[in-house]
Amino acid sequence: MVKRLLSLNGLAVLGAVINHASGWGFTAMFWWTDRYQAGPVPDFSGLGTASYYALRAAEQLIMFSIPAFLFVSGFFVAFATGRRRESLGWKPVGVRIRDLAIPYIFWSLALLAGKGALGSFDRPLGYLQSLAFGRAAAPYYYVPLLAQYFLFSPLIVPLVRKHWKPVLLSAGLLQLTVHVARYPVLLGRDVAVAQWVVIHSPGWFFPQTCFWFVFGAFAGFHLSVLKGWLVRWAALLPALTLVSAVLAFLEWELLFGLSGREWLPPAVTALDSIYAGAMILTFIAFDDLRPPFTKQLGELGARSFGVYLMHAPVLEVASRAAYHGAPWILGHQFLFQPLLTLAGVGVPLAAMIAIDRSPVRRCYKYIFG
Amino acid sequence: MDRKTELMEFVKEELLHGRKSDLRDDEDLLSAGIIDSLGILQLVGFVEKRYGVQVPDEDVVYENFHSIRALADYLGRN
Repeated sequence: MVKRLLSLNGLAVLGAVINHASGWGFTAMFWWTDRYQAGPVPDFSGLGTASYYALRAAEQLIMFSIPAFLFVSGFFVAFATGRRRESLGWKPVGVRIRDLAIPYIFWSLALLAGKGALGSFDRPLGYLQSLAFGRAAAPYYYVPLLAQYFLFSPLIVPLVRKHWKPVLLSAGLLQLTVHVARYPVLLGRDVAVAQWVVIHSPGWFFPQTCFWFVFGAFAGFHLSVLKGWLVRWAALLPALTLVSAVLAFLEWELLFGLSGREWLPPAVTALDSIYAGAMILTFIAFDDLRPPFTKQLGELGARSFGVYLMHAPVLEVASRAAYHGAPWILGHQFLFQPLLTLAGVGVPLAAMIAIDRSPVRRCYKYIFG
Repeated sequence: MDRKTELMEFVKEELLHGRKSDLRDDEDLLSAGIIDSLGILQLVGFVEKRYGVQVPDEDVVYENFHSIRALADYLGRN
């Protein structure tokens, strides 16, 4: 099971790239329509087409990516604590946060500098907020989020080790509260408590994903318990994954329809979390199977933080290059999506190899983590 | 090349990318920021492939992997 975590991480980062590529796909489909056909924008006539559903399906299937990253990080915290120590010391926590922060700040500053070069400036406080809350690029919220979990880990570790049942339950309930509160907000209903919960639980803040990190720490400390569960439920897990993916897909379409809005920005729902959990457990339960590309996924997993950080600017540059240079491609998602995904994975990997073989390879860890 | 030297080379080349040349065999790889969660998993993969051993999940623990010496000792026992 443990050795599966590297390829799980690889699959998760591939999923993250596909997710953000599909985000640019929706931008091309609705907001950049005038670049490849006559008419005003936004143009939502693409809703309900085969391309729309293909993008939605991709977005749905990769919902396990962030949960998988957090699960692996939680497992690492248990590993770093060891069998004999009561809790994780502050030194490894500080080192881990430093090692996340340096490449994150590097890429955030590069993106902010790029925006400045294009004439988009912010106040000094705005730049600080961009760094603190991961706003330099949409996927960057994950780094401040992960840093919080590492900061909490000296407190979480003894609890997960000794009282895993109430801790898992509490984390699950906290996460579920945020997801449940989101439903009326998505539907445009005026429910003050739900709005308060959603406003105070942005993506970079721990409550809406806390279960995954705690679950990973539980897996590290109580591996035999988890393995017992996996043996008992292994036959059902693939079916649960499939059914929850389909239900979560349909749920979003229903929410979108009931919201009455032209467009509903993606958000994680309770059903998405069930799918994510089922997917992670299915992946680690069948560790005697070697699905295709396991080796390649493992290699990608080992470089996942660098790919995660660099894919955001690559996708932005590639999408805007298509907008200006080859707008016809924006109307052909079956071509646009594979090209974006290829660029989002391939360019960071090529940059990593190039840096690793260059005289500045000593800087590799500071750029890619 | 003995095991410790091979492990040291792997860590220096693949995980440190040449950043630190004076790595000691008793240096704590986690506290020094030399390996993270993915680094551990890479290290497990390397020893399994290089030495033809199967590292059970239960043995992937800090005590066996926190330093080159600890890992070499673990491999010596198995």
